[in-house]
Order: sequence, then structure tokens, then C-alpha cells
Amino acid sequence: MTTQPTISEETIGVWDGRITMRVKVAGAGSPLLYLHPAAGLAWDPFLSHLAERYTVYAPEFPGTSVGDPYAIHQVDDLTDLVLLYEELVRKLGLVKPVVVGQSFGGMLACELAAHFPDVPSALVVLDPIGLWLDEHPVANWIATPADRLPALLFHDPDSPAAQAMLALPEDPERQRAAIAGLVWAFGCTGKFTWPIPDRGLRGRLHRISARTLIVWGRQDKLANVAYAGEFANAIAGSKVAIVDDCGHIPQVEKYDQTVQAADEFLG
Amino acid sequence: MKISLFAQAPYRYLPEDFEQHHESVCDVPYSLTTREGVYSSVRDFMDELMFGARSGFDAVAVTEHGQSSYDMVPNPDLVASALAYMTEAEGIDVGIFPMGRSLGKSREPLRAAEEYAMIDVMSGGRLVPGLVVGLSYDSSINNGVPPIEVRKRFDENLELVLRAWKAQTPFAWNGKFSQYPMVNMWPRPLQADLPTWITGIGNPNTMRMCLERGFGFTYLSWFGAKLTGKRIFDRFWEIADQVSVPRNPYRLGFLQTVAVAESDEQAERDYAEHLEYGFRKGLGSIPMEKLGLPGGIDIRGVQALLKDPGDFGLYYQMKTATYRDLVDAGVVIAGSPATVRDQLREFCREYGIGNLHAMLSFGSLPRHLVMKNIQLFSEEVLPHLRDLWTDTGHQHHWWPERLGGSPGTQQIPANTGLAAAR
Repeated sequence: MTTQPTISEETIGVWDGRITMRVKVAGAGSPLLYLHPAAGLAWDPFLSHLAERYTVYAPEFPGTSVGDPYAIHQVDDLTDLVLLYEELVRKLGLVKPVVVGQSFGGMLACELAAHFPDVPSALVVLDPIGLWLDEHPVANWIATPADRLPALLFHDPDSPAAQAMLALPEDPERQRAAIAGLVWAFGCTGKFTWPIPDRGLRGRLHRISARTLIVWGRQDKLANVAYAGEFANAIAGSKVAIVDDCGHIPQVEKYDQTVQAADEFLG
Repeated sequence: MKISLFAQAPYRYLPEDFEQHHESVCDVPYSLTTREGVYSSVRDFMDELMFGARSGFDAVAVTEHGQSSYDMVPNPDLVASALAYMTEAEGIDVGIFPMGRSLGKSREPLRAAEEYAMIDVMSGGRLVPGLVVGLSYDSSINNGVPPIEVRKRFDENLELVLRAWKAQTPFAWNGKFSQYPMVNMWPRPLQADLPTWITGIGNPNTMRMCLERGFGFTYLSWFGAKLTGKRIFDRFWEIADQVSVPRNPYRLGFLQTVAVAESDEQAERDYAEHLEYGFRKGLGSIPMEKLGLPGGIDIRGVQALLKDPGDFGLYYQMKTATYRDLVDAGVVIAGSPATVRDQLREFCREYGIGNLHAMLSFGSLPRHLVMKNIQLFSEEVLPHLRDLWTDTGHQHHWWPERLGGSPGTQQIPANTGLAAAR
């Protein structure tokens, strides 16, 4: 495990000044853009590891920043969302960043790379959503009650890593704020995934020209591992790393294997 | 006071252990039904509404629930249109009150406006149109609208519907959620000013909108009026004071389940098991996450609900609620005619309620007992409530002119856009 680096925050005005993006920044080296999952940004050991080699830029999705929940209402549709993130990359001055995305963030990373093939130098997606197979319907995580989320997200919801990720603050006021924040983050990201997390990405994946690694938990119950092959078939030259005994969040549930796969790919 | 008969169309023959295995919405298995059971549940529901129309109620009211076993009414306008024609043909001066055509879920808002216009024409100007944001599960799971868009869709669709009803000339509608190059409804409503109601369960933003824009507000008291009534109605009138709207009781509606029999003891014998069926297998079997999907409730609303879930009253115990629980919480007001009318009169007087919507059928209650409940209520309760506000001098601006109301003449607070538009 790595120690947590010093994390700073940048705020960048985008979308004609209507949205202020908050970006967590840590590490040193060439740029890496990390796009978080539907639950919002949580700085985890995987990001700390990446920050040892890269300058990690982790923006908070519009509406998920504490104290600024209504920013989401400034973004109408997926096209606007992708344009907004491209603007953010430019304004941060990121030149050919590595783009890493997990789950919802993986879908967003693919959309960014498909709309703007020259933006990423490499793409790493961890159990991304965005495709649909009738024989493997993606679970509706937004409609899943809180007490059933651990079993949906983790192969072993009782593992220490899973428990640590799901832990809530003990102080009642902070706990309520955390729950409301999580619920709202699902709502904000759900604007681009509800009711079926398929906004036509399959038809655009062929445009991705960056080197791509697709990491998937073999026991992912939210998005079946069969989707790894679907992404791989559509993205020319992409590589796949399947992580055993692992659910939807490989960088948390199987940190070592995920880091190894990412390091090998990124070289 | 205006008094409506409100009814739902629950499937009446669910298995005894239904609530241990199923939810009552979205994925409730249709294999539990029989052809005869579905037909009689809906046929009886229509007959009961017509019996109410013939029994002296001021209106007959229904609402909208898709993909649900506790109310098989995916579009209330279908029911309302049948009632509109039947009552017109029979010459019954009764309001036709579809309470909850959901505009938060509607992808065809112009159709909702057209349906209401048509019902107003069919009824000869007796429509009392009710609009609602919509239940979270119905808007988002049954109808696919992202939860965070439901309220915004409602807001936009409401403007379109109101404008389509009133516009004298065709107009183009360039909305975020719908675009129409030419809006020119045929027919328009007969009523120049439709007495429009918004139905809700206590969101202060909805209440404020009703007060500022001159809509009536209907409160659905499913969660137990003895637990929730004071906080909800006090909130409503406090907001009224804040926006300088007179405390006219006729702008407030209250839906209450009522069970009347010859005596208090007989009411329990007649209705207890059917009330328990209704609330355990209906509302009690809708899980919380389906009532408030992430994004459907504003983040500040989520925090407020986590801190104080009081607006939800008995909801959390509903799945196992006994008759006594339901009575004690005020989910139902049950008993002899004297018991019922005293409680209703006191409750409506205390909270300034000028429109009572009595739900007299529930759960598995068989047809003959529904009819008994309607008859006893109409003969021995309703006449004792009607005069509640007559000596106050308030005008009923939220009721059709043909039925004694004076819509379109109410005072709108000067600080709203609507006043400027007048």
C-alpha cells in the first residue's frame, strides 16, 4: 500500500462560467485524469498509487461537490457533458493525459475518448458501464436500496476493503450529509444513465484511438464480465485484464491485482 | 364544504401472504391475478363511483397509478371520461375530479391537456383538473424519466398545459422536454378558467407554488392524518401567510379513508380485515427507495427527511399495521356515523379544510360493503359536514362555476408573474 499524498484542490470555471468544477490534484509527473464512479469522488489507495508516477487530476462531477448541488441543472444532455469535460481538460492545461475511469466514470472516459480521440494518451477503464446486452442486463444501482448495495458492488461485501469503503461517519449530522450526498450523486450521474445506461456509446467506441486497457471483476454483479469482451471488440487493439474473485470495484476489492494490471499496461 | 367520493381500483383478491413476498408496484407479478378478479375489481370500482355520483357527493375523484396492484388506474382520464359522459347523460351535477394526472412522467403533455379539455366538454363544464408531479417509482421506473428530471419536466409541462387550455391562437412550444410547432387544441375546455388543483404529500415548494399561483392544494393523508395533519396543514397556512394569501379553506383539499357502519363495533367487524389488506398490501408494500429514487428528492429534502421523517407518519409500520394502528394514526377514520362525522368535522374545522375527499373503498372490501359505506356516509355523515364554512363568507374559487364555484376570480399575490399577466 502507498501512503496518501498531499492533495490540493483547483477550481476551474467552465461552461461559460456557469459551472465551477472542483478538481483534486496530487502527485507529480505527466498528467492523469481520473473520472470517478456514480457515487462521487473518494480518494482511495489506487489514486495514491497513480499519484506516485503521475499528476492525478480528479474532478468532481457537476452537482456532487459539497455545497454546490445544483450545478447539475446546468448540464442538459450527454453531448454537453462531454464538451464540458473536454473544456475542463483544456483549461487544466492537460496535454495528452492518461484517462482512467471507473464504472460511470469509465463510460464518461470512453465518451471523452470517442468524441475527442486526440485527448488521451492512454485509456484505462475499470468495469465501465455504457453498453447493454439483453442477456446480461446492467443492474439498476440507482434503484437498489442501500442495504443491498454492498452485495451488488462487491464479490465479498464483508472484506475489510469493502467495509472501509462503505463506512459512514458516526456523527449523526455528518452521517446524514454523507447519505444525502451519496443519494444526490446517484441522482446527478443518473441524469446520463437512467433508465438504461446506454446512450449509444457502442456506436461511438470505434472512434477511440488511444491505447486502451479494460479491467473487469470476474464476479461483477452490476455489469457482467461479458461486457469486457464487448468493449474490447469495439475498441481496436484494446487489452483486457480480468480480476478473479472480484466484483464491480476492482481497485478497491483487489487492489494489488488491479494496480499490477494498470502498471503493466502503462509501462 | 365540498365533499367528494374518492376511489381506487385495487386488485381485491391477492393471496394472504402477499406482502411477505412481493412489492405492490413495478414488478408485482401479474400471475397473481385472474381474469375474473381483474374484471370485477375494475367493474365494481366504476359502479361504486357512479353510486357515489348518484348519492349526492359534490364530486367523484380518482388518481393515477401505473404498474401497481393497489390501484389499477394507469390513466385516470379514462375513468373520468366514462364518469363524465354517464353523469351528463343522467343529468347529475357532480364534479369530475381526476386528481393526479402526472405531468412529471408525461412525455406527451399536450395529450394530458387535450384529455382534460375533452372531459370538460363531455361533462358540460364539470371538470376539476388535478395535476401531480408524480410518484417516484411511477415516473422513473414505470415511465423511464430520470429521477432528477421529474420535477423539471413537471414544471415545464405544467406551463404548456395551462397555456394550451387558455390560448386563443395557435402557438409554437419550444420546451426542453417537448417541442410542438403548432399548439391549437380542439376542443378547448368549456370552462374559461379551469379550477386547477395540485396534489401532494407535503413538499413546501409545491405548497408555495399552489398558493402563489392560485391553484388548490390537495393533501393525500395516506400516512395517518393524526400523525401528519398538524405539521402538514400548519405548514400550508404558514406559507400562505408568508406569501400574503388569505386563509380561504376552499383552497385546501384533504383525502381521508373513512369507514362507516351502524356502530363503532360494527365498523371494526365490517372493515378491519379489508383495511389491513389495503394498507399492508398497498402502501405498506411500496419500499421507501421506490418512493424517493436518488435525484427525485432535492438533496436538502433528503437531509431534512433523514433528520425528521415525520411527514411519513405510519408509513414505516404500514406493512404490519393492525386495524387499531390504522385508526390510532388516523390513516382511517372508522366508526358509527356520529363518531365519523364528529372527527371529520373537528379535523376539517381545526385545520381549515374546505374540500374533503372521502375514500370509502379500500383493499379487499367487497362491493356490498363499499356500497354500504357510501350509502351511510352520504346519508348520515355528508349532510352534517356540508355547512362547515358557509357562514365564513369565503368564496370557492377552486370549483366549476356550473357547480357553484367562482374560478378565475381569486386574488393572486401581486409579486407573482401571474398577477402581471392578468
